[in-house]
Parts: sequence; C-alpha cells; structure tokens
Amino acid sequence: MILDLSDDAKEFGREARRAFEAAGGDQLVQDAEAKPANREALVGPVLAGLGAWELDPRTDTDGLEAAAALCRSAGYWAVPYPVAERLAAPLDLDADGLVVVAGTRPSGVLAGLESRWAAVTLDGARSRVSGLGDAGPGFVTELELSAVDDDGAADVALGLVLPCWTLLGMLDRAIELTVSHISLRKQFGQTLSSFQGVQFQLTDAEVERSGLDILAKYALWSIGTDQPDALNDALSLRMSAIEAAEVVFRVCHQLHGAVGFCDETTLSWLSRYSQPLRRLPLGLSATRDELTRRVGGSGLTGLFA
Amino acid sequence: MGQKADELRADLRELVNSNMPEHFLGAFTDDPADLEAAQAFCRLLAERNLLCLSWPEEFGGGAASVWEQTVVREEMWAHHEPRGAQYMGVNWVGPIIMRHGTEEQQQKHLPPIARGEVIWCQGFSEPEAGSDLASLRTTARPDGDGWLVSGQKIWTSYATMAQWCFLLARTTKGEKKQQGLTIFLVPMDDPAIQVRPIRCMMGPHHLNEVFFDDLRVTQADVLGTVDDGWSIVQEVTSFERVGIARYARCERLLAAAPTILGNRWDELSAELRGRWVRMLTHCRRARLMAYRVVSLQSSGRIKPGDAAAYRIAVTKLDQDSAEVLMEIAAEVSHDDPRAAWFLGEVEDHWKYSQASTVSSGSIEMQRILLSRTLLAAAK
Repeated sequence: MILDLSDDAKEFGREARRAFEAAGGDQLVQDAEAKPANREALVGPVLAGLGAWELDPRTDTDGLEAAAALCRSAGYWAVPYPVAERLAAPLDLDADGLVVVAGTRPSGVLAGLESRWAAVTLDGARSRVSGLGDAGPGFVTELELSAVDDDGAADVALGLVLPCWTLLGMLDRAIELTVSHISLRKQFGQTLSSFQGVQFQLTDAEVERSGLDILAKYALWSIGTDQPDALNDALSLRMSAIEAAEVVFRVCHQLHGAVGFCDETTLSWLSRYSQPLRRLPLGLSATRDELTRRVGGSGLTGLFA
Repeated sequence: MGQKADELRADLRELVNSNMPEHFLGAFTDDPADLEAAQAFCRLLAERNLLCLSWPEEFGGGAASVWEQTVVREEMWAHHEPRGAQYMGVNWVGPIIMRHGTEEQQQKHLPPIARGEVIWCQGFSEPEAGSDLASLRTTARPDGDGWLVSGQKIWTSYATMAQWCFLLARTTKGEKKQQGLTIFLVPMDDPAIQVRPIRCMMGPHHLNEVFFDDLRVTQADVLGTVDDGWSIVQEVTSFERVGIARYARCERLLAAAPTILGNRWDELSAELRGRWVRMLTHCRRARLMAYRVVSLQSSGRIKPGDAAAYRIAVTKLDQDSAEVLMEIAAEVSHDDPRAAWFLGEVEDHWKYSQASTVSSGSIEMQRILLSRTLLAAAK
C-alpha cells in the first residue's frame, strides 16, 4: 500500500494548483456559473497545458497518482469542470470521459459541455450519453443514455475514486480558509483561534480530512495494483469522503459565521459545489447500503480478513 | 509491510493460539492463572528473542524494523496483550534506561526486563496533576547523601504487582514548573511505599493509589540528571506517540462477528450491518493513520499534530466500535459454543474503550496538540 503520493505526483499537483490560480483561481467557478457554456473554454486550455490528457491512470501507476494529485488541486479551487470524470475515460469506448451513475435518474455534472461522454452503473452496465436534461445547481443535469454493454465493471472503481480526490481538495481548502479566518477574526478582544471551543471544532474537521487523505491513497493503491476488492475499497472511500465532507463543511461554516454564507467568501462556493460530489452517483446512505450489500459477512480486507 | 513483518505476524499468532487460553482477557483479572499465563508467555517470547525485538542488538534485542515493531503492537493488543504489564518495560522503560541509565543501572535493570521477569509501574499522575503533570506535588527533599520522597500517586496501573516504579518527583522548586523534577527508579517492596487498589470497571490491578512516606532514595536511584527529569518525561511521551494499536482489537472483534452470528448475520437489520461496515472502514482509516505516523517518525518528519490526529481517530474508533459490537452481541445466541468467548471479549472491549479517551494522554490534550499544529502552520 502507499502512505503518500510520489514526489513527482505531488509536484504535478502543486504545478496544477498554480496553473488554476493563474487562470483565475476562485473566479473560475463564478464565471462558469454565470455562463455554463463557457466551462470548456475557461478550464480546458489549462488542463491541456498541464498535459492532463496525456496522463494514463488506467495502465500506469505514475499516471494514476498524477491524476489523483490533479483532481485534488482542481478541488482546491473548485474548478468548474469534471476533471476526475475526464481522467476516468474508458479506453475501449470513443468517449472523452466517464460518469458513474445510479440506476435511477442517472445524472452528472455535464451542463454546458459538448464533449462525448460514457456512463457506467455500479454493476458495470455501460451507456453513451446521448442527451442532457435541464441544468440544475452545480452544473448537474439528468443524462439521457443509450445502452452499450455490460463490460464496465472494471471502470467503476476509478470512476468513484478520482472524484473523491476532488472532494479531498475541497476539504483541504475549506480548512485552510477556516484556519486563516479564525486566526484573524477577533471577538471579545481576542482571535477566535484562542478559544478552545473553536480549536476543538477545528480538530474534529482535521481528523476527518486527514483520515480521508490516507483512505484515498489506499483506494488508489488498490486500483493501481488490481486488488480484487478495489470496488469495495472505492465504495468504502466514498462513504468516508461524504462523511468527512459533512463534518468539515459544517465546522467550517460554523467557524466562519455569517460571512461564510456570502458570495464574497470562497467557502460559500466550495460548500455549494461540493454537493454534486457528495450526492452523485449515490449519497451517504445509499453508498453505505451498497457497500454493505457487496461485502456481506466478509467485510473489508484487513488484518483479520 | 514486507515479508519479514508478515512472517513475524504469522509466528506471533501461532504462539498466541498455542500458548494462551482461549478465554484470556488480559493478565489483570481476579484469577491468578491469567497473570501466570502472561508471565509464562513473556518467558516464551524472551526465549525466542521476540520479547525485546525492538531493542538494539547491543542490549540483546532484535533490532527489528519499525514495521516489525508495528506488527508486535498490533498482534499483542488484538489478543489482549498476552505480555501483561511487561509491555511497559519492553516498550519504554528499557529503552529510556538504555539512553539515560548509568552502566550499573543498565546491568541491573535491562536483563530482567529482557527475560520478561519484572513488572514496572509508572509513578506520574497525582490527584492534582493529571494532564498537567508538571504540577505534581510529590517531593524528594534533601537528606544526607540522598533524598526522602513523600507524596501520593494515583491511577497507577499494575502497582500491586510491580517490582519497580519509574517515579517522577520534585527535587527543586524551579522557575518554571517543568524545572526541578527528577526521575527515580525505586523498588516497590520498600516499606515506605504503600499501594491501595482502586476497584474499577476495567477490573483489578488497573488503577491504584501509591503512597510514599519518607522513601529514602540516593543518587544511585536517579535516572539521568537531577532536576532535569522533564526532558525524560518528554521522551517517554515520544515512545508512546503511536501508542496502543487499538484498531487491531476492534478489527479482530468486528471481523469475528459474522462468524459468531452464522446464518443469523443476514437477519440483522441493514442499519446495524451498515454501522458494522462503517466501523471496519474506520479501523482501516486508523490503521493507515498509524502507519503514516510510524513512517513520518522513522524519517524524522513528524509533527505533533500527525500523531494527535491519529490518537483522536483511534480512541474514537475504540468507543464507536464498542457500541456497535455491544449491539451485535445482544443478537448472539448463547447456545453457540463460541458465544461465551465473543460476549466476554465484547464486554471487556466496551469497558476498556470508555477509558481510551482518558488514558495515556486525554483526547483533549490531543486536540490541543493538533490545533496548535494547524494554527502554527498558518502563521
């Protein structure tokens, strides 16, 4: 298993973070929300410049780690583009990206994009995206699908894990913003960070973020080494990612106070745009149910199983 | 973790399965046979050079890798610490004496620890000095060529069975409260020491009061430098940074639950089975966080917050998994031949877990450490 990404992957992630910042940083998501049709034009050139589409996360471990680092950096800036989904594109279908969908009301964050997409259910049924419904919040749209085959089981784990890396990047940023805020904001003549009640809430959030970080690396290793339980590991990661996001965003909003809800505050954008990652293809309860059903009484691979 | 670590895990499991009673729930029960079983197991480990695996070769150890040491922590805790109280001597008393002890102290104390023959207790906490340890009041006042120690320790585990105490006392009133403290290595059979057990939910021997009434100590009993004991305390803390591998016992019991339930497993509510899966994920999370701490520590890149985040996660896991296991245990048929084993294990786990956020550095102290690290990084 891996306890950290390679130095090259981490450096690539830092480079991506700088590139997104240079392209507009926090302004990107605001511009895209105003004109969803501009998403490709806003972000596509940055990703191409980084060499994102040359990464090979399916057959190359270095490429897989670099893809994860890229997704994390995209999450950090709430980049308004399905980076993880593009990187998960299947090799044997003529598609630019892959969306993992639920069996009912298949949806994805594809509003405003004209690229060619494939979809796969958790059971491996693959489809082409033949049409998009009306755009909802967070660029979510229902997908019209045309069935292709049932050969997508091997696609699912990667399609679930990379978006968790995006969500992890959002949690990195949310905590970073919150630490800055409570270090500056004063009440009763002292910074918020000097209150133990504030400090302890912050640690609750950090434990969740830190735990997600290590589980994300485990799930990546599981895919990269073709572990037989890679899908269970991916679902386990997803369950933890959603739980972590719930804790982190709740704490970060609380510690930001009213200003955290204002559009002039980055947290407000991160929080809103984390929602599709947390609800699609399955929310917390459905993800846990799916994992429970799949593992039966065997549980997860570990010290005693 | 590597082939050597995997082989070690298999060896340790075989030794535990072959030599420890199935219903062993730790050495500290009212049944003296449990302590005898643990002592015999320690001698067995010592004979196979497995007891002091982590020690340097020059002190008769196995110079084990950090991952082999991790395996030992996991397997011992998963199986109710069959080394009994010896783990303390092996894990940190011995290594601290290697670093700070005189040659005479090393010759006197290290061989019995390495043979698994001696039990130590830690004389740190006091009624008015828990997390704020440096506020302790036990004093060693000068007397001739030595000192007379007076005061009270509390929550002292294994004091009733220990032969030696790793005692922290105030020798001088320093400018700061961390100054003027000294470590003494004192024999527990001295008549100036009285031990009073405190009955508690974890069972006997876990908690005791220890009273020192003009205990005479000399320079030969001092570990390190007089008045500079606090730096040794800090080192003890760093030895305990990763601490007990609590996740290993949680995982062992959670993994056993479906087998114990048998066909009835699928009849459990989906909600309870979902909580069980969630706990397995949290076991994995805590285990990987522990591995990250081990890796960072071995490469010298660790920050206090790294270990604190893990300690918070693993102690919460201990308590959360105990609640889930108690709920599962309520569904176990008592006719099952292994029911008694499982129910005993789960009840013991639940009782122990209540203390996990209090002992060896409370969760509040861990939160303070973690928040300091986070806030310092922002400056």
